[in-house]
Amino acid sequence: MPLMPKRVKFRKSQRGTLKGNASRGNRVNFGEFGLQSLESGWLSAEAIEAGRITASHAIRGEGRLYIRVFPHKSVTAIPAETRMGKGKGEPEYWAAVVKTGMILFEVAGLPEPAARDCLARVAYKMPFKCRLVSRKPGG
Amino acid sequence: MAETVELATQTRKPHGSNEARRLRRKGLIPAVVYGHEEGTVAVTLAGEDLEKAIRHGARVVDLKSDGKVQKALIREVQWDHLGKELLHVDFARVAIDERVVLDVRVELRGIAPGVTAGGALDQPLHQLSIECLAISVPDHIRVNIGELQIGQSVHVRDLVLPEGVKAMVDADAIVVQVKAPVVEATAGGVPGAPGTETAEPEVIGRKVAAEEEAE
Repeated sequence: MPLMPKRVKFRKSQRGTLKGNASRGNRVNFGEFGLQSLESGWLSAEAIEAGRITASHAIRGEGRLYIRVFPHKSVTAIPAETRMGKGKGEPEYWAAVVKTGMILFEVAGLPEPAARDCLARVAYKMPFKCRLVSRKPGG
Repeated sequence: MAETVELATQTRKPHGSNEARRLRRKGLIPAVVYGHEEGTVAVTLAGEDLEKAIRHGARVVDLKSDGKVQKALIREVQWDHLGKELLHVDFARVAIDERVVLDVRVELRGIAPGVTAGGALDQPLHQLSIECLAISVPDHIRVNIGELQIGQSVHVRDLVLPEGVKAMVDADAIVVQVKAPVVEATAGGVPGAPGTETAEPEVIGRKVAAEEEAE
């Protein structure tokens, strides 16, 4: 089951902006290696779930996976061939707002080659260009 | 303990973000030196040398300017949003016999038998706050995990610290532990597949239909 908020104040949200770079959540804080987004966009809950499944298969219970993003934003859509008007569409999926530089996933307790392999597989599931980063300064 | 690196600095006169950007374009890094009740001095350094020193774990450096050499602690380093490029560095003046408080990397050594037996290694403390002499800052604190079984942990009080080094965190804090493997529940159904029920989150403040009818 993809991630989703338990309680929300409003069912639908406005689109918002994706300008600028991440000033928070852009450092590896929990594990030793992380997957950093090099682009900005919306990361759907399904994509996060796909990344989680891929990572759990890759680490096979050895290390630990940290998911650093959460889909707080509801994205609405209007059915095809609908006439203009009649208001905003219904929530279609939930997404995380990702800015350039944000850490999406982190792994801990794995040697570097295994962590590299795991995060490279996860990167295939992401809709953005990503890079592997380590905890070391400038890594 | 890392060797002390000598860095040549030049005083910079124009301040501000535009000037800093111009300097970075030339391969220089803006920095500031303060402390010891002397004035705050804005300086520039060669980016390549400074980056090399930081990547090699230098903590205390010798700053050389106008023929004078002064010891300084790298207090804060600012990186860009990707953590790739150096933006700015804060240097705090220190004396040789001064004790400083700083964070040092915790390095794990060995392979825990608990991990080989299927446990998961968890390291809640990646950096340890220590107090030590400015001239003898250790590069890292080494922790041997060669005998760590499932359910066992290494606390701050168990660490073998170099002479003259004092840990500044709670002695009971866990540095590293081997946890029993967690059996992950398999998610029911493929996300987004037809027939998968997508529940909606509860909306705060909205009354449930049944409650409304009762009213």
